[in-house]
Amino acid sequence: MTALEDAQEEVKPDMTPMIDVVFLMIIFFICIDFKVLESKLPAYLPKDKGSQSDVIEPVEQLSIGVYVEAAGTPEYPPNVKKGDLNPNNKRPFRYKLLNHKTRWEVGPKPLFDIKEVEKELEKIAKAPESQIPDKVTGGKKLMGCVIEAHTGTFYEDVAKTADAAHNAGFLEINFGGGLGGMK
Amino acid sequence: MDLKKIAQQNIDMDMTPMIDCVFLLMIFFVLVIDLSQKNLEDLILPRAEFQEPDDTPPDNRPIINVLQNGSVIYNQDVVYDPTDPAKSNIALIKGLLKGIREKGLSAIPPTIHLKEEKVGARTAMLIDDPILIRADKWTEWHYIGEIMKQCSQPDVGFWKVELAMSEQDKETGQKNKKIQ
Repeated sequence: MTALEDAQEEVKPDMTPMIDVVFLMIIFFICIDFKVLESKLPAYLPKDKGSQSDVIEPVEQLSIGVYVEAAGTPEYPPNVKKGDLNPNNKRPFRYKLLNHKTRWEVGPKPLFDIKEVEKELEKIAKAPESQIPDKVTGGKKLMGCVIEAHTGTFYEDVAKTADAAHNAGFLEINFGGGLGGMK
Repeated sequence: MDLKKIAQQNIDMDMTPMIDCVFLLMIFFVLVIDLSQKNLEDLILPRAEFQEPDDTPPDNRPIINVLQNGSVIYNQDVVYDPTDPAKSNIALIKGLLKGIREKGLSAIPPTIHLKEEKVGARTAMLIDDPILIRADKWTEWHYIGEIMKQCSQPDVGFWKVELAMSEQDKETGQKNKKIQ
């Protein structure tokens, strides 16, 4: 073998790694391009109607639970039974509920008389820690309250609780606890 | 003409002025009768311990009456009755409320006015006029809760719900502190 022939053999490079690298680079750029394309693809999405995009901050409220201690006994007029219609107005005869007892939970405190509830609500309404920031005026306001009527409670129980809360100064009275539940 | 015939002629009465008076009295009483009470059922409401009477109730305020058995009565019609299988569908209450809304909006002049309010992250067209719920004191609360739930539906939109109470408990005779 001559010297020239030796030199010609040496200039043949091994292309394999370069091709490997080139393929790797092609694959890399193809993948990058796909990602860019994906974001450019037109998408016909439903408009925001049902989902909430705003974050609603939780509001501090006083919980007033209304529970039944004793369901009570209905007392109909003499010689009248449940479901009988009053001939004067074609409506069912009304009954009085005897020995119905209610328990309230104002915050964690259990109470057994509406007078105690009135006093407790007045005490809470006057306490400085019951004041929360008012976003409208920038000042402070009394927190709201939520009346949670539980199973077996009557309109009388809830309406008197709302009456006491309003008298104590609560202006924002909400009703929670489901629907009071069926007996 | 003898005396007997003359006496018979004199006892004929002219009825016209009396009939005139009777008609005038009828017209008077028809006009004076208070029709505003016709949509109030005979219920015993819980006694309001502190609240003062509502001397100037809003005009055309819808009044929903709820009996002890949960029946919903509007303008003397039983709309919903949990004891009657034909009327025990909750959708009837929603239908009633939607009907009140549509009738009030289409009246001339409208008796119901809408207001755009932000509810959570959405805006909704809510009714700016109140609705009154009158329930018997011994009506189970879940019946009233259901009506309030239906009032808050987006296509109903009664958000000013008033609960009726009375100055005096007719069952016990106790009176409101402010009128004692």
